[in-house]
Amino acid sequence: MLLVKTQRDALLAPLQSVSGIVERKHTLPILSNVLLEKRGDALTLLATDIEIQITTTATGAGDGEGSVTVGARKLQDILRSLPDSAEVSLILEDRRLQVRAGRSRFSLQTLPAEDFPRMALADGQAKSFTVTQKQFRRLLAQTQYSMAAQDVRYYLNGLLLIVDGAELRAVATDGHRLAFASMSLDGALPGDTPRQELILPRKTVLELNRQLADSDEPLELAMTANQIRFTFGSTVLVSKLIDGKFPDFQRVIPASLRNTVTLNRAALLQSMVRAAILTNEKFRGVRLLLSAGSLKIIAANAEQEEALEEIEVDYSGDALDVGFNVGYLLDVLNNSIVDTVQLGFNDANSSSLITLPGDDRFKYVVMPMRI
Amino acid sequence: MTSADVLAAGGKATDTDHVGGSLPRRPRRIAHLDMDAFFASVELLQYPELRGQPVVVGGRNVPAPQVQADGSRRFARLRDYAGRGVVTTSTYEARAYGVFSGMGLMKSAALAPEAILLPANFDAYRQYSRRFKDAVAALAPQIEDRGIDEIYIDLSDLEEDSQTLGQRLKQAVFAATGLRCSIGITPNKLLSKLASDLDKPDGLTLLALTDVPTRVWPLPVGKINGIGPKTAAVLARLGIERIGQLAAASPALLQKRFGATTGVWLHEVAHGRDTRPVITQSQPKSISRETTFEHDLHARQDRAALTEIFTALCVRVADDLARKGVVGRTVGIKLRYADFHVVTRDLTLPHAVSDAATIRRAAGQCLKRVPLTQRLRLLGVRVSALEAADGNETEPGVQRELPL
Repeated sequence: MLLVKTQRDALLAPLQSVSGIVERKHTLPILSNVLLEKRGDALTLLATDIEIQITTTATGAGDGEGSVTVGARKLQDILRSLPDSAEVSLILEDRRLQVRAGRSRFSLQTLPAEDFPRMALADGQAKSFTVTQKQFRRLLAQTQYSMAAQDVRYYLNGLLLIVDGAELRAVATDGHRLAFASMSLDGALPGDTPRQELILPRKTVLELNRQLADSDEPLELAMTANQIRFTFGSTVLVSKLIDGKFPDFQRVIPASLRNTVTLNRAALLQSMVRAAILTNEKFRGVRLLLSAGSLKIIAANAEQEEALEEIEVDYSGDALDVGFNVGYLLDVLNNSIVDTVQLGFNDANSSSLITLPGDDRFKYVVMPMRI
Repeated sequence: MTSADVLAAGGKATDTDHVGGSLPRRPRRIAHLDMDAFFASVELLQYPELRGQPVVVGGRNVPAPQVQADGSRRFARLRDYAGRGVVTTSTYEARAYGVFSGMGLMKSAALAPEAILLPANFDAYRQYSRRFKDAVAALAPQIEDRGIDEIYIDLSDLEEDSQTLGQRLKQAVFAATGLRCSIGITPNKLLSKLASDLDKPDGLTLLALTDVPTRVWPLPVGKINGIGPKTAAVLARLGIERIGQLAAASPALLQKRFGATTGVWLHEVAHGRDTRPVITQSQPKSISRETTFEHDLHARQDRAALTEIFTALCVRVADDLARKGVVGRTVGIKLRYADFHVVTRDLTLPHAVSDAATIRRAAGQCLKRVPLTQRLRLLGVRVSALEAADGNETEPGVQRELPL
């Protein structure tokens, strides 16, 4: 029974957009599979790891009807290694999926489509609004690098989204640094919408960051108390939310700063990149020495090799000597797109605040390192 | 403490403090805070009428005090106890009779028959433990948790002098719990642990490295955290009983007798030197998986089944390591024979490992060092000497934490 007949790329592109979340190792064998569902001209592909589910629909896939699940990675590897222009047929035959292209034939084992676990949003209770893909992607890009990866404080292994009437805020922290960004919802939600906080799992954030386009195309967010759904282009991503209480991030943002200095972002980034070469691989510590008119960046490694970078600055505040993990500074400099950044300090033991002059929607707090 | 433990402690002491380069850092100031007779003192808060009496906490099935008709309470006495329970802790008054933690209750009854016997109330101890740690954290947040009744505190970044800080910590602990503690403040964890014990109870002892000859050298070697009865016995055979004698012993002799790592470590600690950082994050110390078989297995007859279980355990340990984002340098096994006798073996590798295949190989090496004539009930695999997999984020004592 013919399921799909189409160009290789018309199949490979949607497959790649769902297969990113498929885990290599699983207790449930069917989760290594992708669900192919063909109705009329439309082919729907669906993959899940139980926490996240991605669905995408492609049209122009030929006449066949039916549904089946098949190993996502194998199918992707086969399609990827076929010639670009190949015409591919998927044929369901005796519980095996035949992949045919030119003179190539593959016979893959399948599992029944009925057994495939699916997530659906309880639509009745969902609250939804629409932003542009570009806006939301920017919000993620400004914050996601600060998420914890495998912290026992499981609620830090994700990104806090706060929907608050006219504003959408994002916060991520790994306990050493914290990134905060916000965007206006421009009336996408009624002003009296109650504030809602939700924590997106790390994997969901990384997947969205990978898939969203830098365009003005719409992205619809629909959320319930424990799930969220993102709809963009022909893709729908449904994710569970992390059930936990995110710490009160406001209290770690310094309310006042004794000393601030404004710097050219690109120049600072390049100095940091160079200094980072001679940091201790384990600690990656750099010392920032701030004095009237000058910022020195000093690094030294276990072999006693040293780097010194000096930048002229317009500064007349207190002399300051403070250490940082250079990775945390590179992260924020790399993920900002503005020309200047402002560094604010109190003393060498307390947190520093990095902001973008002219943009009060972003804040980055980083704790120093004792060097 | 086994010789393997001493070795591990020695290894730890030599490979730390690697903040490189010529960058200056503030002198270290470390406190060790030890609650005085912690469990017994918590009990005394509940039963103030027992203050000043010998009180012993411990035993299973010890009756809780009964309230009598006149409102007073009736307590069990040690002499009434019959059973195999042991002393969990005792008040200083009971210690005066020679009753200490770990002693059998029947034996204690012979020494102090009139002592009051109370059942252990671990919920209350945990609650007071949290209270005193919270009180300390409010003053000095860089804390290493060493169990229910003791902590290390890194005071290096605080401004006040040690005497003032020590007094403030003691007052804060007392205000939060009504309990007394003893504190040692010195340049490192080793000396602080010794110092907190010098003036117990309710002590505050400050030591500098220059005090080591007068204050530390007269103490018996067993006072050093890491020198257990076995090491002490070997040292005694060498004529070394005091820490001063250990300091005077030739490093070459120590290394010959205890191996390079422990030999160097013994020499260092005898001079009061210790560079271990205060570890503020609670990282797991080891990760292990073990399984008891459905029926006892024999290494030869059931080789295939055992091999499969062994490999599966290694895979699970590797998964756990990955999930926690750590790698480990020491791989060990644990066997329980049919007669319930337990043996462990471990192997320290030159580099930290985390993958199942390497763990399996190292654990296999360990297995070659145990007798396998008897049937086995249980097999376990453990990875210890853990460190962060990525190395730069969770390194202790260096990166500060956001006050979340």
